[in-house]
Amino acid sequence: MTLHHSGRGRLGLALGAFGASALLLAGCAGGGGGTGTDDAASGEPLIVGTTDKVTTLDPAGSYDNGSLAVQTQVFPYLVNTNYNETEVVPDLAETAEFTSPTEYTVTLPEGLKWSNGNDLTSADVKFSFDRNLAIADPNGASSLLYNLDSVEAPDDTTVVFKLKAENDQVFPFILTSFPGAIVDDEVFSADALTTDQDIVDADAFGGPYKITSYDFNKTVEFTPNENYQGLLEAPVNSGVILSYFSESSNLKLAVQEGDVDVAYRSLSATDVEDLSGNDNVQVIDGPGGEIRYIVFNFDTQPYGATTAEADEAKAQAVRQAVANLVDRDAIAEQVYKGTYTPLYSFVPDGFNGATEVLKELYGDGNGGPDAEKAKATLEAAGVTIPVQLSLQYTADDHYGPSSGDEYAMVKSQLEQDGLFAVDLKSTEWVQYSKDRTADVYPSYQLGWFPDYSDADNYLTPFFLTENFLGNHFSDQQTEDLILQQAVETDPEARTQEIEDIQARVGELLSTVPLLQGAQVAVAGTGVDGVILDASFKFRFAPLTK
Amino acid sequence: MTTDVAPLEQPPAFLARRRSRSGGTLGRYLLVRALLIIPTVFILVTLVFFLIRLTGDPITASLGGRLPADQLQERIHEAGYDRPVLVQYIEYLGQVFTGNFGTTLTDNRLVTDVIVTYGTATLELVVYALIIALVVGLPLGMVAAALRDRAPDAGLRISAILFYATPVFFAGLLAKLVFSVWLGWFPVSGRASVRTEIALNREGSTGIYLIDAIASGNPAYVQDVLLHAFLPAMVLGLATAGIFLRLVRTNVIGTFNMPYVDAARSRGISEYRLVRKHAYKPALIPIITVIGLQVALLLGGAVLTETTFEWQGLGFQLTKYLAARDFVAVQGIVALIAILVALTNFVVDLIAALIDPRVRY
Repeated sequence: MTLHHSGRGRLGLALGAFGASALLLAGCAGGGGGTGTDDAASGEPLIVGTTDKVTTLDPAGSYDNGSLAVQTQVFPYLVNTNYNETEVVPDLAETAEFTSPTEYTVTLPEGLKWSNGNDLTSADVKFSFDRNLAIADPNGASSLLYNLDSVEAPDDTTVVFKLKAENDQVFPFILTSFPGAIVDDEVFSADALTTDQDIVDADAFGGPYKITSYDFNKTVEFTPNENYQGLLEAPVNSGVILSYFSESSNLKLAVQEGDVDVAYRSLSATDVEDLSGNDNVQVIDGPGGEIRYIVFNFDTQPYGATTAEADEAKAQAVRQAVANLVDRDAIAEQVYKGTYTPLYSFVPDGFNGATEVLKELYGDGNGGPDAEKAKATLEAAGVTIPVQLSLQYTADDHYGPSSGDEYAMVKSQLEQDGLFAVDLKSTEWVQYSKDRTADVYPSYQLGWFPDYSDADNYLTPFFLTENFLGNHFSDQQTEDLILQQAVETDPEARTQEIEDIQARVGELLSTVPLLQGAQVAVAGTGVDGVILDASFKFRFAPLTK
Repeated sequence: MTTDVAPLEQPPAFLARRRSRSGGTLGRYLLVRALLIIPTVFILVTLVFFLIRLTGDPITASLGGRLPADQLQERIHEAGYDRPVLVQYIEYLGQVFTGNFGTTLTDNRLVTDVIVTYGTATLELVVYALIIALVVGLPLGMVAAALRDRAPDAGLRISAILFYATPVFFAGLLAKLVFSVWLGWFPVSGRASVRTEIALNREGSTGIYLIDAIASGNPAYVQDVLLHAFLPAMVLGLATAGIFLRLVRTNVIGTFNMPYVDAARSRGISEYRLVRKHAYKPALIPIITVIGLQVALLLGGAVLTETTFEWQGLGFQLTKYLAARDFVAVQGIVALIAILVALTNFVVDLIAALIDPRVRY
């Protein structure tokens, strides 16, 4: 009896203790899901949530969106694009222009300072580019400085970039991107990466913000930098805290519950669709530079150069039939819930020279599929129907969790009229990366996010004979046009050349573009100043709440 | 007289021999157990070293979709990843023996910093979970045994099965949905609110938030940290509590049937004392062994709990480094986990050997 009483008593005590502790803690929470310290009063820093991660704060050691998102706020750039504009204009610089075909000269205003009080001069600029090339970090973006021969700093306010090739119209755009960040030569190492903590401890910042608290890939606190004198207006908020999430579902819940003010990169399509119906938040979108496309290997695709039935005309007909059959709108709406839009060009919407060339050339003329046209193309070339096509995609999250659904739909669209028999397979990303350049896949999925905001970034890497796709595409006319536009100083002539390139590639179809990603941010209804433009940089300075 | 007394004051010779042999056995037992840690860790680290290299390299993982094959190969060569694996292995062993675990390849951080930063987070979660498992599992197991085959026992057994049979990620999502989203009692995720984290970080962090919060002297921070810890600790802890509950119940029932318990009962010892003194303590011996195993399982379960609740710990970070093929980070973290598990098992062996002499033989 004693035991039973005691047991019940202890059980009751244990359950009571847990219940009490839960209620006590819950009571302390105030029923709002917050913590009692979460409520941001007026003037408190805004909280931005993201799933992107920082590789390193040092601009010489990173080539990823997560690092760039922080660097954009805290490092100065010589030139930049203003909000909602695409033209490159001076940022930190006073002037920036070609002073000869191989010299790009930048002048700085006098009296520039880093946030730690050090002088910011042309020596810092020269140091920044020299160290980037010297370090050439495997995770860095020094390869984008391919045309930079040397940097000179004849006086404290003048910088001369000596270029290898003449009239490089892309170079100013590259200065707005990864390798364009300027760093403090009194803090950063000349021949090795500088650690995040050393940068933060030395307060070596020159952008609109400085970092006042840094917990790697957990939280970063940005405070306005009073020494900033650049293109963008000084921050209108008292600061921003960037909070990192590992799961997009947690980021979605956080913005939905008001724990973060803005969620930027990357919410899933279903989360965005769900949040768009929530009265407590607003969904803001802008042009996105990300594209998704199918690559054809010109050697191993059906009728490719190294196949038993090699026939260039038939191979082209196969590619064109694919372009006639894919229904981009259906993929964008059904798989991506509108967070991607149909892409009918090689240079996506928002860039100079973007034309919807594929809409005119293929399908029903309005962007929809046309099976009859596809059939006619195949029959005219004498292709055996159904075409046996091996199509590969990467199974893991590299291009997002919906790749499987996307390519299942592509397969279905190609097969539904009996013109193709698609062998769809998936591979893990690292193996996939090796296989695709080893001619293992006749046709396969890829995606691209731009290095800099210029049409060239969608042409040169893809369609020169020496391209990163390694798909054996080579066309002299395309090659000449691409090389010409890169040095064309007349903007109108350059735009025309970019359109001509797309017209040519549209016929040859080295790749079949499918979708263009929109930039999406979700913010509380009281938040203003979220600007998502073609710079693809989410800048915190105009945010208010 | 002298010769008569002396044998009584000194222990019999056979007893002295036995004591000496017993002490030597314990010492040898512990020495063997301690020495076994070295090959265990060595084998595991070696396996990880070779296996991860079979799956690719970090440069291909990060830039495989952006660079031509030749440029990719050039970067791989510059980084030295194309050198003979044995050369890399010998170099790695040399570093490890000098205490240098290296710098992560993907985010340029000292592996020791990574281990300290994320390891403390995991340690904090695992300790919370273990406390919950012990506080819930042991007494309830005893209660279930004492009330054997009655309604409370059935209820507790069913609860125990539910606790450990429910996948932690599912339990985590469910708990979050009910207690955070619907009821709003607890925060959705994280180890602390953003502003608390910033404040604790600014004041100098040990990595264990509860200690930092207490040290800050601000009750709001302590409350904030506890609120964030409650759901993940409960989810992870209850899964193990279910195992403890059933194990204690079974063992206590087993000892109830032992002759010495019957003998004690026949001497009129109360049921309460029987359970506490005679049945419960012997039943704890296998539990101690299981705790050692559970630490390894808790570390594994913590990966899912950490992901579900944004608890940025070592397991979660390990999965990120694995996806990025960051050899150096993975090797360092796995080595640490191996050492932790091996040490925990050593301590468990030690305790078991101290409690139960049979283990030493």
